[in-house]
Amino acid sequence: MLERPGRSLMQGSRHSVTAPGAFPLCLLTLLVPPLSLAAPISPAEPISQAYSLALYMQKNTSTLLQTYLQHQGSPFSDPGFSAPELQLSSLPAAAVSFKTWHNLDDAERLSRAQGAFLALTQHLQLVGDDQSDLNPGSPILLDQLGAARLRAQGLLGNMGVIMSALGLPIPPEKDTLGFVPFGASAFERKCRGYVVTREYGHWTDRAVRDLALLKAKYPA
Amino acid sequence: MMGISLCWRRPSAMVDDKRMRTTSGFLWLLSALILLCLVNQVNSQKKGAPHDLKCITNNLQVWDCSWKAPSGAGQGTVYDICIESRSHPCYRLNKTNIKIPALLPGDHEITIHSIHDFGSSRSKFILNEKNVSLIPDTPEIFNLSADFSNSTLYLKWNDKGSAFPHHSNVIWEIKILRKESMELVKLVTLNTALSDEDTVHHWSWVSDMPLECVTHYVGIRCYVDDLHFSGHKEWSDWSPLKNISWTPDSQTKVFPQDKVILVGSDITFCCVSQEKVLSAQIGQTSCPLIHLDGENVAIKIHNISVSENSGTNVVFTTEENIFGTVIFVGYPPDTPQNLNCETHDLKEIICTWSAGRPTALVGPRKTSYTLFESFSEKHVRFKRVDVSTKESYQLLFQMLPNQEIYNFTLNARNPLGRSEAAILVNVTEKVYPHTPTAFKVKDINSTAVTLSWHLPGNFAKINLLCQVEINKTNSAQEWRNVTIKGVENSNYLLVVDKLNPYTIYTFRIRCSTETFWKWSKWSNKKQHLTTEAVPSRGPDTWREWKSDGKNLIIYWKPLPINEANGKILSYNISCSSDEETQSLSEIPDPQHRAEIQLDKNDYIISVVAKNSVGSSPPSKIASMEIPNDDLKIEQTVGMGKGILLTWNYDPNMTCDYVIKWCNSSRAEPCLMDWKKVPVNSTETVIESAPIVAPNFTVEDTSADSILVKWEDIPVEELRGFLRGYLFYFEKGERDTFKMRDLDSGRSDVKVKNITDISQKTLRIADLQGKTSYHLVLRAYTDGGIGPEKSMYVVTKENSVGLIIAILIPVAVAVIVGVVTSILCYRKREWIKETFYPDIPNPENCKALQFQKSVCEGSSALKTLEMNPCTPNNVEVLETRSTVPKIEDTEIISPVAERPEESSDAEPENHVVVSYCPPIIEEEIPNPIVDEAGTASQVIYIDIQSMYQPQAKQEEESEIDPVVGGGYKPQMHLPINSAIEDIAAEDDLDKTAGYRPQANVNTWHLVSPDSPRSTDSNSEIVSFGSPCSINSRQFLIPPKDEDSPKASGGGWSFTNFFQNKPND
Repeated sequence: MLERPGRSLMQGSRHSVTAPGAFPLCLLTLLVPPLSLAAPISPAEPISQAYSLALYMQKNTSTLLQTYLQHQGSPFSDPGFSAPELQLSSLPAAAVSFKTWHNLDDAERLSRAQGAFLALTQHLQLVGDDQSDLNPGSPILLDQLGAARLRAQGLLGNMGVIMSALGLPIPPEKDTLGFVPFGASAFERKCRGYVVTREYGHWTDRAVRDLALLKAKYPA
Repeated sequence: MMGISLCWRRPSAMVDDKRMRTTSGFLWLLSALILLCLVNQVNSQKKGAPHDLKCITNNLQVWDCSWKAPSGAGQGTVYDICIESRSHPCYRLNKTNIKIPALLPGDHEITIHSIHDFGSSRSKFILNEKNVSLIPDTPEIFNLSADFSNSTLYLKWNDKGSAFPHHSNVIWEIKILRKESMELVKLVTLNTALSDEDTVHHWSWVSDMPLECVTHYVGIRCYVDDLHFSGHKEWSDWSPLKNISWTPDSQTKVFPQDKVILVGSDITFCCVSQEKVLSAQIGQTSCPLIHLDGENVAIKIHNISVSENSGTNVVFTTEENIFGTVIFVGYPPDTPQNLNCETHDLKEIICTWSAGRPTALVGPRKTSYTLFESFSEKHVRFKRVDVSTKESYQLLFQMLPNQEIYNFTLNARNPLGRSEAAILVNVTEKVYPHTPTAFKVKDINSTAVTLSWHLPGNFAKINLLCQVEINKTNSAQEWRNVTIKGVENSNYLLVVDKLNPYTIYTFRIRCSTETFWKWSKWSNKKQHLTTEAVPSRGPDTWREWKSDGKNLIIYWKPLPINEANGKILSYNISCSSDEETQSLSEIPDPQHRAEIQLDKNDYIISVVAKNSVGSSPPSKIASMEIPNDDLKIEQTVGMGKGILLTWNYDPNMTCDYVIKWCNSSRAEPCLMDWKKVPVNSTETVIESAPIVAPNFTVEDTSADSILVKWEDIPVEELRGFLRGYLFYFEKGERDTFKMRDLDSGRSDVKVKNITDISQKTLRIADLQGKTSYHLVLRAYTDGGIGPEKSMYVVTKENSVGLIIAILIPVAVAVIVGVVTSILCYRKREWIKETFYPDIPNPENCKALQFQKSVCEGSSALKTLEMNPCTPNNVEVLETRSTVPKIEDTEIISPVAERPEESSDAEPENHVVVSYCPPIIEEEIPNPIVDEAGTASQVIYIDIQSMYQPQAKQEEESEIDPVVGGGYKPQMHLPINSAIEDIAAEDDLDKTAGYRPQANVNTWHLVSPDSPRSTDSNSEIVSFGSPCSINSRQFLIPPKDEDSPKASGGGWSFTNFFQNKPND
């Protein structure tokens, strides 16, 4: 009777402490690519770190999207703006049916997320460049885009570590953008920025779920 | 015209023939026939010869004449055309038109003779230029192209001017049609002149509608307005239409894209779409759609308003998609405001300006600035790395050698236009020097110093104007302006004279140029003490004979600081008469009197003050007193701390009056002070107490002492000879005013009398730490005590006391801790039971593995492993509040009844409950199963007393589980499978007390904590697992039972102390 609430309290507090505290650490450690791919380490630790980072990112994605839309003028900045029909061929969509998602194996799940965050990293760079033309006087937006890119890069690194810990092959880095984006009109830039920031949010949400699943599968 | 006359000739002949043939009876018929014949004849006559000659020209050089062939003329008809007045007047041809060179003005007779198979005919025409029509050739569009990005059409055509004989004006008419329905959009007329050559004309037109969205058609015609031509002039035919349409080459669907336009313009946006466009909006405003060909639509915006940084969005929405474009609406650059150019160093010109009205255009569309200098034809371009919010701009322009006058033009440009501002500067008149650096002061002598500073800049050709600020303590600021010849990037020197010796000055400097524009910023301040000089005056001296008449006391006053010119070190005194000279030398400074033995009365005494530089001029006084009997003091009136003295005027007096006074209560010589008064005055006020208190500061404080330091009082404010200082101190805060009466000798005010006037510091010792003290300092002379100056000082904390103050509580805490620990150690068992009983983890409870064991068919011994269901639970629940107690009564009531029944089955039910705790008690303290009643067993005595028989059975069962009657249910459990549960239950009712455990299903169906388990009447359900909470609840003994266990289980501190004696 006495022990039980005590234990659960401890668990709760431990949980809440790790989430924010672990973020800068894992960002730092995981930006460094794993050196020894031959010797897989325990996947529990990187999964937990990646999960913490994904949770942290999740808190900021809607702010990023809102900030982005506010700076693009109407109709983007209108309340409740949404254009799900807008997609980018170079950016995989995060939306997936639950059944498909659930049936993914670890390798598929991780490689999809890894590919998505690789594309997101490059796209966020592109959007940052676009916005420094369109909104050069809005450091808030430019800073948020820069931060999002760094976080996506961090999570990408995390995915790599997890994959190597699980002994999965890491897909080589590729240029997801190609030559397409140059010479795009301002409207296209605004739209693709919208798609990228939106998909960044969706992919972060999906990564949180992916990692939660993996976390349960590979407990510490 | 001639044709008509010909026609009339022949019918008249025919009428004559008919008249001869007809009779008079048929007159009416005849007349009708005549009419018919007439018509017929006319027609046949007309058709029988060439007629309707028409001539047109398209170039004024050749006339193209045509006529109608005579009736019946076939293929083989040949015409002879003869033009009168021509050298070769006749042409033979077999067609009905002819091109002839243009004829001269005037009538020309043309005869056309047609010869065909069944006859010939001849017609005559009179042809005049006036009857000729000038119809220019249909113009042909040479080229039609479009610049889609600018919505501009370019049209090229040839005027074919070489065909015309003379220069004439041409009017062109161009039409522009739009859409498949060919709506006329634009009709323009252009005037050109024809030259001898073919000229290609260009014309362009900017469409309000983007060219991408709809096909545009262009046609052209012309009208030659030749003044020399007298005939009829007509428009040419329209040229064949040429069109411009757009072939989609990208995803772009909305036009124009990324256009920059002026605020207030009108603009049309259009959308190329395959699907039906549902709506269009610009910003937040919806716009009515203008339908074009297909599904293409357009919207028209009037008076567009300024857009935000990222532009205004125009969006067309279809069922499945949105298409859009961004338009950047802004202003052309404003004229740069406040353009100003100046230089810091005559090397670089800095031009600054502000942008004026914002253009609302940023990024690649922002205003770019170029600064152009027209004399040197050089320019610099403004590059801004980051966006400044202040919209203030600055550009550097390198100065050119030998150029002083610069004509700057600042060009501002953005996609919407340009503007400029100009300024003509003589740069030598616009110098704003840098702040002087490396500012130093050096002594020259006691009244002059040299200032030196560094001023970067190429000032070799101009003069600098510099201003020195001189600050002296207690006196007004002084500024001196100096003009200095400028040098190339170097140090400057300036002599500042007319200073006072031995005085602290603060200097700083700033510079401008002779042609003043702006002062530089002030340099750093430098404080400087000028060197000492010889005292400028001898001290004020007086002498007084001692009462014995042999010793003369010489008094002198210290020199005021402005006359001392340094620190006075000593005084030299010499008394000289005609024969001898006595001198006292090197009397140190604070001493201001000397005694000298003189045997005569006729000496001249001179006093000289010396400082480190030298001696003052001597001040002399005769030793002999001047008779002053004539001088009468008329009045002495006390005035406050002074005395007003008046005397009679004596015109014989030539020098000064000296008034001396002394304290009459003292013995002679009692000189206190003297005062020199100019000869023309007859009254003065004598005062002798200092009028100020010495300034003092606290140099250092410690926990128990304060070090105080003070300064001299200036001589003028001392008014007498300083005798010493009084220093008072007492405890007190700033807000309290205790020290009202310092002289009343209050015991709490401590006083120190400092009589050594050379002493300037005092350490007050034996004070308390961290206490506020009120300090007061006063100076006094023979004439009285001066005013007071006070200060509050807090002494520092006493570190030793602090350490003690920390150590004692720590020590006390440690002792208390140790005592508590010992106490707790000794009472650990009781404390453990009271505050921290073991609570079984249900997961660890082996009883929960029961089913598993059942399935595995384990022996009865296995059931004993249910032991971990610790009896401590019993303890905890005993102390639970009312809710469990209610349950207790419910559960216990059957317990009370059952011993009376004394049946086998009933007590065994209780055994189920009680059986668990004893075992655990045995297992935990004594892992080896022990029959002996251990201490832990005693704890459960109240329960065991109720179930004592069962406990014994249980112990037996451990030894021989198969035999043990009390453990039957456990024996039965292996048999009790899900299939035969009913039968098993029946068995259990009869044979064993462990039904709850037997009813395996209930454990899964009913949570131990759920109300159902407690409310249920079924014993099976209510008892649940022996490890469950139900078991604990059941085990709670009745409240009224006086057991040591019950009292020991409480949480109150009274229990804690009650138990103490027991232990």
